[in-house]
Amino acid sequence: MSVTDQPPSPQPPAGDPREALHDRIAADSLTTRRDYLRIVATVSGGLAVGGLGVAGGILPRHGDPDDAKAPSPKRIADQLLPGESLAFHYPDEEDRAVAVRLDDGTLVGYSAICTHLACAVLWRKDRGTQGELYCPCHEGIFDARTGEVTAGPPPRALPKVVLTEQVDGSIWAVGTTRSGESIEHGLCRQLSEDRPDLASRIGCPAVKGGGAEAPSLGPETPGSRS
Amino acid sequence: MTDARQSRNQEPPERPAASRPPAVSEYPEPPEYHPGSARPELNRPVHERYPQIRATSGYGDPRIRHTGPGPGAGTDQEPERSSKLTARLVLAMTVVVGQLWGLTVVIDAWMEGRTGTAWWGAGFLCLSFLVVLGLWLIDPKDR
Ligand code: FES
Repeated sequence: MSVTDQPPSPQPPAGDPREALHDRIAADSLTTRRDYLRIVATVSGGLAVGGLGVAGGILPRHGDPDDAKAPSPKRIADQLLPGESLAFHYPDEEDRAVAVRLDDGTLVGYSAICTHLACAVLWRKDRGTQGELYCPCHEGIFDARTGEVTAGPPPRALPKVVLTEQVDGSIWAVGTTRSGESIEHGLCRQLSEDRPDLASRIGCPAVKGGGAEAPSLGPETPGSRS
Repeated sequence: MTDARQSRNQEPPERPAASRPPAVSEYPEPPEYHPGSARPELNRPVHERYPQIRATSGYGDPRIRHTGPGPGAGTDQEPERSSKLTARLVLAMTVVVGQLWGLTVVIDAWMEGRTGTAWWGAGFLCLSFLVVLGLWLIDPKDR
């Protein structure tokens, strides 16, 4: 059968002439600029909805509690030697975190969820001058003392996990901060609603009657902290 | 073609007899029809089904009003309308690029706990969407 001999189509196009016209145009696979304009408008609407969703809180943040209560302190280790790190979960099971004791004895804690695409952040003692937090997925690097991004694609600093050391050397996680938030601010934000007495004891400015002493997490926590 | 016609015209006069039969056979039978040229070297294979119709002639799109042989065949017939549509498209895409940037700002603000900023950013995204919607609604049927 040659190309020109075509079998009679099973259904003659006796239907809506507008439909037949549409078929004919669609067969040419013309994607017109009007179509592109419609696609662009749809994408734009999706971005607007996404922005509303983000502002409304569909993205999880490290340490955001389900029940709007301040996280309770949690003992994570009996001791942590200089240069060592420890992976733990705080405050919830899905909130991965890493605690590091720097060589000079400073104790720091961070969320171990990369702010780029949520890979696991690792402590690398051999990198940088004093070691650094390293995300292997896209070579993201965070400063070990501040959590700020020093290299790579992550857009924000790592959220901190506030750690304290008791006299017996045990390490406790007592709170979290948002990305880029100071420890004092984060602790005060979490404590001021739930436990105003404790908040005023560590000198939160928003709580009236706050003690004059510098924020030091109370008398029972003499250990150094980040 | 001319060669073929001449050669065909030359042959028939020999056939009619002196006694003339009725009018039916007065004219010779037409020669057998062969598409293409009588000169075989001109009959190169043509793969398109309708080789006379060029791809640029707007074939199949009945919305094309004026095109066809002559200068400008197959090109845009209404450049003003067309460029206005292109301008709308470019503006809309620029706004969408701005929205992509705005979304990163909103996410950063939310993650850093600046909820107020995040809501302002979301408002910006919605306004941008209204702008794009307006650009589309100027003439949604334009092509
Ligand atoms: S996920 Fe950590 S750098 Fe991309």
